[in-house]
Amino acid sequence: MSPALRKIVLPVGTFLSFLLGWQLLSEALDVPVYLLPSPLDIYEGGGKLGPAILSNTLETLKTILLGFVCACVVGIPLGVVVSVNRTISEMIYPLIVFLNAIPIIAIAPILVVIFGTDMTTRLIIVTLTCFFPIMVNTAAGMMDTPKEMLDLARVAGASRMGEILSVRLPSAIPFIFSGLRIGVTVAVVGAVVAEFVNANKGLGFLVTSSTAQFAIPTATACVVILAVISVVLYEAVNWAHRAFFGWSIKTKAGE
Amino acid sequence: MIHATPAREAHSKPETRPDFGMQGREGAGTARREPIIELAHAGVTFATAKGDPLVAVEDMNLTIYREEIVSLVGPSGCGKSTVLRMLAGLQQPTSGDIWIGGGKTQRGFSEVALVFQRPTLLPWLSVMDNVLYPVKVLQRPTKAHRSRAMELLELVGLQDMADRMPHELSGGMQQRASIARSLILDPKILLMDEPFGALDALTREDLQLDLLDIHAETRKTILLVTHSINEAVLLSDRVAVMSARPGRMQDLVEIDVPKPRGAESGARPDFLALSQRIRDDIFGPRLSRKGRRA
Repeated sequence: MSPALRKIVLPVGTFLSFLLGWQLLSEALDVPVYLLPSPLDIYEGGGKLGPAILSNTLETLKTILLGFVCACVVGIPLGVVVSVNRTISEMIYPLIVFLNAIPIIAIAPILVVIFGTDMTTRLIIVTLTCFFPIMVNTAAGMMDTPKEMLDLARVAGASRMGEILSVRLPSAIPFIFSGLRIGVTVAVVGAVVAEFVNANKGLGFLVTSSTAQFAIPTATACVVILAVISVVLYEAVNWAHRAFFGWSIKTKAGE
Repeated sequence: MIHATPAREAHSKPETRPDFGMQGREGAGTARREPIIELAHAGVTFATAKGDPLVAVEDMNLTIYREEIVSLVGPSGCGKSTVLRMLAGLQQPTSGDIWIGGGKTQRGFSEVALVFQRPTLLPWLSVMDNVLYPVKVLQRPTKAHRSRAMELLELVGLQDMADRMPHELSGGMQQRASIARSLILDPKILLMDEPFGALDALTREDLQLDLLDIHAETRKTILLVTHSINEAVLLSDRVAVMSARPGRMQDLVEIDVPKPRGAESGARPDFLALSQRIRDDIFGPRLSRKGRRA
């Protein structure tokens, strides 16, 4: 078996045997569906939703992606500013750490009261959940710029801004993408929290509403879809990294 | 004191420039000795966290003339690199003066260009764009800049690599590219900080000879920091030997090995004698005595 094939066959085989074992066990032990639905129950539970499952998935995806973009727009510049200006860093860093320390689930209902029950609130919740890893990694990358590169920029006569744009920011790319990888998976969690407290559609909303009606297989189906979204988005960030900033992966491996 | 050329007398502040026993005024091979760099009692003292100031360089006096290659050698920690950083403008002298001549002060790599121990190519730029980087910092590169970059890549033997990314090049090729980058804005002075120190021995010899060729072609004034006495003697017109803690000038050795030099120069008796003199300067008679006994 070729190494590439192994990388697919081994995990998929394990996963399928796990599902099969789960199915057989729940049938043999006759576990009640409301306690632990079997894989087939979950599949049927998802099917019951029909086309609604697609529209709700898209709704959640929209929340995740818009929130993630907001977090990038906030997090990356903030990481840059914090890393290059000591005064600003000392001024706002503690505040940001504090903001990040607030349990997002606890503050979500309060945000609904403040900002209302529309998309804005959901985006704020997602952004708050996932901007921190993006910001911290950006700042770490900016500060990790090799000293010689900074000397090069300085001797070449680069202004402070020129130094940031021509050397620091590009050299922080691998770090920024680490932040984005963490951020995008956390954004999924943020979107679910947002939909728990404030939504009438979306997968998070379906999870709460189905659970309230004891439609556990349906709720579990939504959870499975959320997990799949999370994996797909993670891989999408990886793909973007490889496709547009391939040099930053190759140099790491080459050194 | 021993001698003074007209160029030296014409200089603005002759009292501040003591002489350092320069021997043999013809050896450097430069017909007109026009000073281009001058360090007068230059020193750098760092404040440390513990409170005791660290004297990195003390009372450094050195005049470098146009078109010559001068090497700085000395034990590690003698402040060679600090001297280089002073001239590059990365470190202000805390005492004394530095003067860089050659007409009006230029910006960036047109004034002094720096070659580092590691190639320090920017991994997100192609080889061509790396060579153009010092231009881009100051302005948008013109067609003339691009053809100049291509010429320089030819000079260092990388004309076929212009569109490659740095990680596709070997270490030696990367260092060649960084030398091409240093020359893009036709700097007055080329500062090289152990430029071949990170290369394997064979590549190193190859690049040393290439540097001699490049110098023959471009006539750049080069100040080179090196750990290798052999490299210093092979490449230089003069070798400045520094002593450690505090870093200061110890000796200035005129290298009168005839040019053009090549790999075979290393076997000449005068080459070996000069190497031995520098070695004695650095290690003192102690090691020589041990060596004789063994």
